[in-house]
Amino acid sequence: MTHLSLSEDLPPWAQFCIVAAVLVSIVLLLLEQRGGRGTWLLLLTSAAAASLLGLAVLRPAWVSVSGRQEPAPVVVLIDGSHRLALPADERGVSRQQVASKASEALREAWPSARLTSYVFGDGELSNIDAPRQPSVESDLMRAIEQVLARPGEAPRALVVLSDGRLHSPASGDARAIATELGPRLRGVPVHTVGLADRQPKDRSIRAVRMTGTAIAHQPFTLHIELGCSEGVDCSAEKVRVRELMEGGPAQELAAGVARSGDSGAQLDLEVTLDRTGGRVIEVMLDSSLPGDEVPQNDARLLTVDVRRDRTRILHVAGRPTYDVRALRAFLKSDASIDLVSFFILRTEEDDTRATQDDLSLIPFPVDELFTRHLPSFDAVVLQDIDARTYGLLQHFAALRQYVISGGGLILVGGPAAFSAGGYANTPIEDVLPVELPAVGELVTTTSVTPAYTRVGRAAPILRGLRGRLGDALPAMPGFNRMGLAKESALVLWEHPDQGPADASIDAKMPLLALIEVGDGRSIALALDGTHALGFGKFGVETAGDGHRVLWEGLLGWLMRDPRFESAQVRLRAPCIVGFPAALLVSRLPGNDDPVEVEISALGADGPARRISGPAGSEGALLAFQLPDLPAGGYAARVRVGGAPPSRYVFACEVGGEAHADSRPDRPRLEAVATALGGRFVQANRVADLPAPEKTFVLEQRSMKPIGPPYMWSLPAAALLAVSWVLRRARGLA
Amino acid sequence: MSRWPVAPSVGWTRRRHLWALGAGMAGAVLGHARGAHAFGDSGAFHPRLLRAGDGGDLGQVRAALGRWSYELTARTSAPARLSVDVVDPSSSELLAEPLVVWQGEAEPKDLSKSAVRRLREYLGLGGTLIVDGRGSAPGRFTAGVKRQLGRVVPEAAPVALPKAHVLFKSFYLLDGPTGLGSASGEVLGYALGKNVQVLILECDLLGALMPGAGGQGFAHPITPGGSAQRELAARFAVNLGMYVLCSDYKDDQVHAPFLMRRRQRTP
Repeated sequence: MTHLSLSEDLPPWAQFCIVAAVLVSIVLLLLEQRGGRGTWLLLLTSAAAASLLGLAVLRPAWVSVSGRQEPAPVVVLIDGSHRLALPADERGVSRQQVASKASEALREAWPSARLTSYVFGDGELSNIDAPRQPSVESDLMRAIEQVLARPGEAPRALVVLSDGRLHSPASGDARAIATELGPRLRGVPVHTVGLADRQPKDRSIRAVRMTGTAIAHQPFTLHIELGCSEGVDCSAEKVRVRELMEGGPAQELAAGVARSGDSGAQLDLEVTLDRTGGRVIEVMLDSSLPGDEVPQNDARLLTVDVRRDRTRILHVAGRPTYDVRALRAFLKSDASIDLVSFFILRTEEDDTRATQDDLSLIPFPVDELFTRHLPSFDAVVLQDIDARTYGLLQHFAALRQYVISGGGLILVGGPAAFSAGGYANTPIEDVLPVELPAVGELVTTTSVTPAYTRVGRAAPILRGLRGRLGDALPAMPGFNRMGLAKESALVLWEHPDQGPADASIDAKMPLLALIEVGDGRSIALALDGTHALGFGKFGVETAGDGHRVLWEGLLGWLMRDPRFESAQVRLRAPCIVGFPAALLVSRLPGNDDPVEVEISALGADGPARRISGPAGSEGALLAFQLPDLPAGGYAARVRVGGAPPSRYVFACEVGGEAHADSRPDRPRLEAVATALGGRFVQANRVADLPAPEKTFVLEQRSMKPIGPPYMWSLPAAALLAVSWVLRRARGLA
Repeated sequence: MSRWPVAPSVGWTRRRHLWALGAGMAGAVLGHARGAHAFGDSGAFHPRLLRAGDGGDLGQVRAALGRWSYELTARTSAPARLSVDVVDPSSSELLAEPLVVWQGEAEPKDLSKSAVRRLREYLGLGGTLIVDGRGSAPGRFTAGVKRQLGRVVPEAAPVALPKAHVLFKSFYLLDGPTGLGSASGEVLGYALGKNVQVLILECDLLGALMPGAGGQGFAHPITPGGSAQRELAARFAVNLGMYVLCSDYKDDQVHAPFLMRRRQRTP
């Protein structure tokens, strides 16, 4: 194909200027002629000279192009949210299956187009053959932006396959969508294909929202919205909220009846969580709907990160000593601790020689403390108190349950602590990291300097103390005799010589040990002399800081302070049943110790499952691939080297948030198509979409100037000369 | 706090005198018996005597301190060591435990630079210093101590402790300090952190607790208060001990309503 080109080397604006200049010259000559000052000959020579001069500058040429017609490039965007596992119009067929069929149908209907398919969700576009990852959201805006940003040939059309429940564009208003996306598309039409039009029969927990942050011991409100398909009644539906516990049954938190609203029903439930950290709560409908096509959204499992406003600690001491003084001073020095103390200041044998009114003593409210108020504490410190004399024994079952439910417990040694105080063979022994001897020598009065174990050296809990003192520790004037450490316990300090009480195996007696039990943690310290870390030689060496850093570590570990955890753990993406899930583990900087991961189900007493790995690393993170997990709450324990394990709680759901609203949204797809110059069709009518025209692909282009350059310039110069002579003859300038 | 009813107040019995005397003598005799603590003993109340060149009969003073420990153990659940150590203010021994008592009658000599430095270190670790002005003119001693403390903690100044201070309710409900002197005055305190760490008494508390020669009675008669005043002195000593061990425990909110009611009942 050949065509004439006015100029091949000048930009269009320059060509325009030259043509305009020639035309203006001719007009001026015409005006001169009509004013009677010029002659026709002068007009013709001058106009011809100007025109030839313009052509000399433009240098017109013949241009020949050759090429071929190619199929038009078309990008197909397939909704990758796992919401597409929901039923489509035809029973037993998922929207995902409809999308596959529609994609094939489009390929057949548009043989003249080159289709490239991508899956879009809440992240980067992925190839249709890539392994599927769970995706809650369907971010079409981001997907289109990514398509337009790709290098190479721009698509001639986009086709979106979705059920319409898009997260963006959020508005169904065509004008708003056009304003946002239209300029970037530059006329490329976006067609939309609906994968479903029918609402499945469903009653669901459509949304659960929290007002504010969850603070331990403080009530917060869960705003719960129920959704019902057409013809299903949502009102008067009872909703329950419960917390999944480790090693025990779920704990009921709240229940209420939903009231009807504009679209479905809703209710607010006030919930109080006492334990901090990740907690899994289940929000569930109390009854099931006969014929419910999406039963998995009748309940939601949510992981709530419960923060702590202030750490509320109960400190009970059997008698006032310098050790009690030092611990109280530490606890009082921390403004974030809400301390409740009870010290036994008088025993039955003491003779105060005064009436009750002369004394400042108050009764020890043991029953009130360990029944009504116990759940309000984040941690309980029992320091050298005789459980028999002061009525603690009868509350040990509650204290045991308190720890299993997530509370923290520290037992501090002394002449009336542990076995000497009647703790052996009681329910509290179940949650201690050590076994307690019931008979024989219960305390030892010979001096001991505790020795660090391998775990003790690795534990972040004691890093502060070891950073100041190395392995040195003060001599303690005796200790409570301990039995064997329990299987899952970790011993940080041990007796340098003596073995555990009542044990014949080759091991050292634990003096500082800790354990995770259920949701809680406990520590056993069989010594009463840690105050020596704040005074004397050790106090001087640490500038009085030794005692503080020890207890900061112990209490911090008990309260799951991240500073004292050996690893930080998180899920790579929400855990959705049927999709691969992975835990990402980051170790403390500089720590390359091996990592072990165990998973146990909340509410079940079954054995923990060990996760092999890591399967790979992502920068500084180690990725551990989780096995196929059924829906529920889980606790992962991650152990780095010999350090105490870090615990991470998470939930796995069938569908989760993506399945909460099962209704397709056809109007949204229609609005997108209308706004972006495309058409909307249902999946079974995909062949009705207008096929894009073929694209001309240029293969060769050649240019041939019309004559040599002097062909224009020489006649122009000659005519200009004639014109000049004529003008002089007429007396014109 | 207690779970049992309390017997009404009784006077000093002969048996009690003997026990107290024995305890005081034991403290005096044991002297420097250090490092032999049993389990649970290292954290026991243990008044140590500061030897700051103040002279006086240290044997009698140590016996008084031993009786202080005895009264604490006899009346409360707090353990106490009856032995009394004497520590030099410039030695590292000073930093071993969180309580030291500085007593005297005459104006004290200037502390050496090393003693000033060590005392500052001791208070920096959170130690408690109880100063007891003795004799008929305790103000001479305490005024000198205040001058010395001005070198140790120049940033702090003594403040009179109000009646509502936790020192007067740490075990007994008291109206003020009581000792041997007829005019007990007030207690001055140096607050170096959240708590008062230096307590200055001008009531000759140790004089009231000091046993007599040969272990008979007391070294000094109390007039005009007699045995009632001595009992109040013993109670004040117990409160001081409890303050050292529990600091501001009785200021906790949980005690407030109880203490308020009892204060209102007391005329």
